[in-house]
Amino acid sequence: MNPVQRFLAWVFGAIFLGLSVVVSVETLARKLFNYSIQGADELGGYALAAGSVIAFSLALVGRNHIRVDVFHERFSPRAQAVMNVLSYVLLAVLAVLIAFVAFKVVQDTRAYGSTAPTPWQTPLIWPQGVWYAGLVVFALVTIGYAARATLLLVQGRIDEVNHHFQPKSVKEEVKEEVDDFAQRSGGPELLRPAAEASPAPREPA
Amino acid sequence: MTLAISALFVFLVMLGMMLVGLPIAVSMAAVGILGGVAAFGAPFIDSIAPVVWGTLNENLLTCIPLFVLLGELLLRSGIADRMYTALSAWLGGLPGGLLHTNIGACALFSATSGSSVATAATIGTVALPSLHARGYPMRGALGSLAAGGTLGILIPPSVNMIVYGSLTNNSIGKLFIAGIIPGILLTLCFMAYIYGSAVMGGNGMREAPLPLRERVRTLRYLVPPVVVFGIVMGSLYFGIATATESAALGVLVALFFVWRMGKLTREVLETCFLQTARTSGMILLIIVAAFILNLTIGLTGVADAITKWVTSFGLSATAMLLALTVFYLVLGMFMDVLSMQVATIPITYPIIEALGVDPIWYGIYIVLMCELGMITPPVGMNLFVVHGIRPDKGGIQDAIWGALPYAVIMLLFTFLLMAAPWLATWLPGKMA
Repeated sequence: MNPVQRFLAWVFGAIFLGLSVVVSVETLARKLFNYSIQGADELGGYALAAGSVIAFSLALVGRNHIRVDVFHERFSPRAQAVMNVLSYVLLAVLAVLIAFVAFKVVQDTRAYGSTAPTPWQTPLIWPQGVWYAGLVVFALVTIGYAARATLLLVQGRIDEVNHHFQPKSVKEEVKEEVDDFAQRSGGPELLRPAAEASPAPREPA
Repeated sequence: MTLAISALFVFLVMLGMMLVGLPIAVSMAAVGILGGVAAFGAPFIDSIAPVVWGTLNENLLTCIPLFVLLGELLLRSGIADRMYTALSAWLGGLPGGLLHTNIGACALFSATSGSSVATAATIGTVALPSLHARGYPMRGALGSLAAGGTLGILIPPSVNMIVYGSLTNNSIGKLFIAGIIPGILLTLCFMAYIYGSAVMGGNGMREAPLPLRERVRTLRYLVPPVVVFGIVMGSLYFGIATATESAALGVLVALFFVWRMGKLTREVLETCFLQTARTSGMILLIIVAAFILNLTIGLTGVADAITKWVTSFGLSATAMLLALTVFYLVLGMFMDVLSMQVATIPITYPIIEALGVDPIWYGIYIVLMCELGMITPPVGMNLFVVHGIRPDKGGIQDAIWGALPYAVIMLLFTFLLMAAPWLATWLPGKMA
């Protein structure tokens, strides 16, 4: 994993771990002491706004944005390459469009100096600014991917297109899970070898 | 009516885009945006803006990354793996042996995780090598794991229920609680089938029972998942917490258990964070696209038109549900189930609502249809997952045949749920 991804993963994790602490304290304080530290809901919304835009980019780099591959894998390599490029180009169009509408949101907020309709009266430009920045990054990353895929296709490097931009297959996902399992445990010694298998046609117990 | 028919045509185009392999989010957003612009011109783009911000700033949806993180913490720390040990000690003595353990472990794992693929992959990785070594027939083993894995989205917490709840504006807490009884019943049906076929077939496997003291010792492995599930569901049921709050509580409790296990390391956390980000990013982008599509459907009045058109045939609710069952059964053979769900709900939900079907019940029904889609060939996700882990050589058909009886059970269970809808609606009705 490259350092940028790693850093973003930690930022993402920190946002939601931090949020979990605040929300849990709020929930317990409300129930146990009937005391509410207002605003945990609001914070949850901002956490999602900031976290989701990071997550969009990480999902893109990890090829996690779902595509159905049942018919795709039956296409000829050339057709597959065209579909792969098209997928990334359209993803880039979507990312740019979302960033564009986000810009309108931010513009309006600035024009009216909008604040959240909550006790905190948060100036919305802060969370929205972070959110917008994240969407711009997502758009740029997606454009980069789309450009690279297109370039490879134009150069006729079909195999490379298909190697880098194929939908993620179940096989890959399973391999990731199995590798992680092998790493976190010593292997199948989890299951105690005490019991022996016995083919046993018996009455119901 | 022409509006309804052209809308259905557009819907089919969208399914086509998905099936040829375009990203799901792109297919939905493209249809939503092009449809909206066609109907209202360029100003439609402006009306998307508040929807996108509103969706990504919605505290309710914050529970998606939190529940995904909760499942990841229990999975990556190895807490989930050890449940298998405990359950094999308790359930292995039944006729059918470790196959019961597969189902039981999947059910328990589901209670901490919202993903079916993670469920099947984890339990399968733990179970298959030993099942193979002990000479369990591969078909039965693969089938039980593929089917058990589908419980991941029926037994709460469930990502699919969150998606359903947010798209249809139903309480996620109620949906979770509604999944408990059907989840337990379906688990028992699976186990009854294993028991029955082991006894009748006369060649069922069975594990030698461990001494009681040993068995009791293994119970400690069940403490973390049971406590986490209890806190999450308990706080929801008694009205102490919203879905997002219960997820936050669950994350902290899970973190405590991870620390107790000595697994609170940089590596584990990093993997959890990255995986959570990727999964949530994927889901949230689809949700944003779904809300854009919903906006178009709402503004153009397409949903009303289709609902009027369909109800004009005078079908009863039961007939409609049977027709939908066939529709979902076929669609589920080819589509990833989360995509199937988001793509169809905006159309089917208003129809079902107009026919007077309980929305919470329909949520459970949709999840059951998704479960079925996970084990029906050619694109049953879980079939490929368990096939991908099997230790011996063999074709995918073993997984397909092995899972078939479970698919039949699920279908029968769906009919049972239609005949006795209170199985899903009774418990949420009692919520505080």
